[in-house]
Amino acid sequence: MKEKTEKKGGFWSRLRDRLTPDEMFLETEIQANKLGALILLCSGIILALILVLTAFGAFLLPMSSVFSPLIQAVVEVLILLVVCRAVKYRAWWLKHLLMLGLVIVYARLDVVVTHKAAILMVLPVLFSSRYFSRRLTVFTSIFTTVVFAISAIWGSTHGMININIVTMEAGTTMTATGGFLGDAVNNAGAADRAAFDAMLIKNTLLFDYLPKWLMFSIASIISCNIARRGREMVVNQHEKDVETARISTELNLATRIQADMVPNIYPAFPDRREFDVYATMDPAKEVGGDFYDFFLVDDDHLCLVMADVSGKGVPAALFMMASKIILANNAMIGKSPGQILSDTNAAICSHNREEMFVTVWLGILEISTGKLIAANAGHEYPVVKRGDGDFEILRDKHGFVVGGMAGMQYKEYEITLEPGSRLFLYTDGVPEATDAENNMFGVDRMLAALNEAKDKTTVEILRSVRGAVDGFVRNAEQFDDLTMLCLEYKGTAGPQKTEGEDADASDTPQERKGLPE
Amino acid sequence: MIIGTNKSGNALTVSLEGRLDTVTAPELDAALKAALPGVADLIFDFAKLEYVSSAGLRVLLSAQKTMNAQGKMRIRNVNETITEIFDVTGFSDILTIE
Repeated sequence: MKEKTEKKGGFWSRLRDRLTPDEMFLETEIQANKLGALILLCSGIILALILVLTAFGAFLLPMSSVFSPLIQAVVEVLILLVVCRAVKYRAWWLKHLLMLGLVIVYARLDVVVTHKAAILMVLPVLFSSRYFSRRLTVFTSIFTTVVFAISAIWGSTHGMININIVTMEAGTTMTATGGFLGDAVNNAGAADRAAFDAMLIKNTLLFDYLPKWLMFSIASIISCNIARRGREMVVNQHEKDVETARISTELNLATRIQADMVPNIYPAFPDRREFDVYATMDPAKEVGGDFYDFFLVDDDHLCLVMADVSGKGVPAALFMMASKIILANNAMIGKSPGQILSDTNAAICSHNREEMFVTVWLGILEISTGKLIAANAGHEYPVVKRGDGDFEILRDKHGFVVGGMAGMQYKEYEITLEPGSRLFLYTDGVPEATDAENNMFGVDRMLAALNEAKDKTTVEILRSVRGAVDGFVRNAEQFDDLTMLCLEYKGTAGPQKTEGEDADASDTPQERKGLPE
Repeated sequence: MIIGTNKSGNALTVSLEGRLDTVTAPELDAALKAALPGVADLIFDFAKLEYVSSAGLRVLLSAQKTMNAQGKMRIRNVNETITEIFDVTGFSDILTIE
């Protein structure tokens, strides 16, 4: 006994598992169930209308033959609608119930109007394709075939008689008693009712149902195809959605990894009073090819890097990671800037089939003297403010980009920063920031923004430039990565208080990527 | 960007119009990959080119390397903005600009 109930439960749960759609089809199925309820509602209204109009004699049908099947159909429609609402269109068996219900409701109408309503047979199977389940469409086709065969047989003897398919023996006479021609034909068959009915059933199946069924089978094939194609489309879309979500998750993580690859905790050197450095990196996409870097090579030497990889997005970001590490490794063993760039170029060129390259400005500051030795591999001109002067473009010597061609050598140059000097490094995303009319921000506007804040802290200087860029670009999409670095050299003579410095340092002790709004 | 090509014998003239940037560089890359085999004299006409981004530079570098192996490459009618870009990036040193 116990085993039996288990088996029964097993059957139902297995059936349910089989008929429950995959998660990705749940939404489709609920929507289709709602459409089914709408079709039922429309059908119910039409059936009720036919009933009422027949009662008022608008149709040539006798109320006696119409009332019973139509009222049953209306009741069925109402029951189905109540069920739909009760299960909130969600039950796994609802689609099958809807198909069975629709077929039976239309078959009842078919019994009444017989050969007049060929299209009724096609409606359920057409609707079933909306579920994107070929199995359901095949199920509906078979069920329709059976039920409409029954309704054709029943209708041929109980519904509207189709006088075109009635065969009569030669010499049969009919007597009209008023009313329809069909009644006269029917009366003529009364002599041998059984033979007449058999003839009606046979001829209806042959001349009425068969052609109808052939048309129906074509509609079934079309519906099966729509269901299969719809299913493929939903599956494809689902796969794409999953893939997009995966990529999005990975890119989010990549963004964080990249942001953490560069120094981003400020103040960067809280125990050094001789200089202050602040930088921001703001990729146009999730990840970018720009980067900055700064680190102490030893107690007296600060290395500063600003670089821009050709291209954007993930390829640029991968190349950026490698470039940054190779540059830093070369710098940390105490090489000079020109040597660092030459060796980095050699290392990158040996594994660079995609012919990516990176523009690099790299300088090493001797903290005790303010002496800055730098080399420029195809990067933007640095901007320097010397002592009490203004920020000015430093037209330094340019070498070729790093990674472009093997065997490149890079010339170094030297400048001396007096206390109070500032150095501003950037990538082309700053001067080439573009507004909605395709005008570029330009170097002049950049210099103006720098000089507006020239005596302020590094944080405020970058904020000033970023503010000017944002004000210029307005709502145009950021197209290029935006990366900036500012060094303030205070000298070794002792701490020089800068306007607002202390307030700022405490405001932004742990500032991350991006300028504060 | 509009890419115009004119081939006579083993000389190919490529005239560019518009901006050579991240979006348009792959088009030029594809066009050159198809057209360069057998070319010994490649001439770029930049008369109507407004701007070259780093992605564009990469395509030019790639073309220069190809042409180093099979002939020569020259660039004509370079405007001021692009000359500046070539100077800043050091590309002036490796390209032949007429």
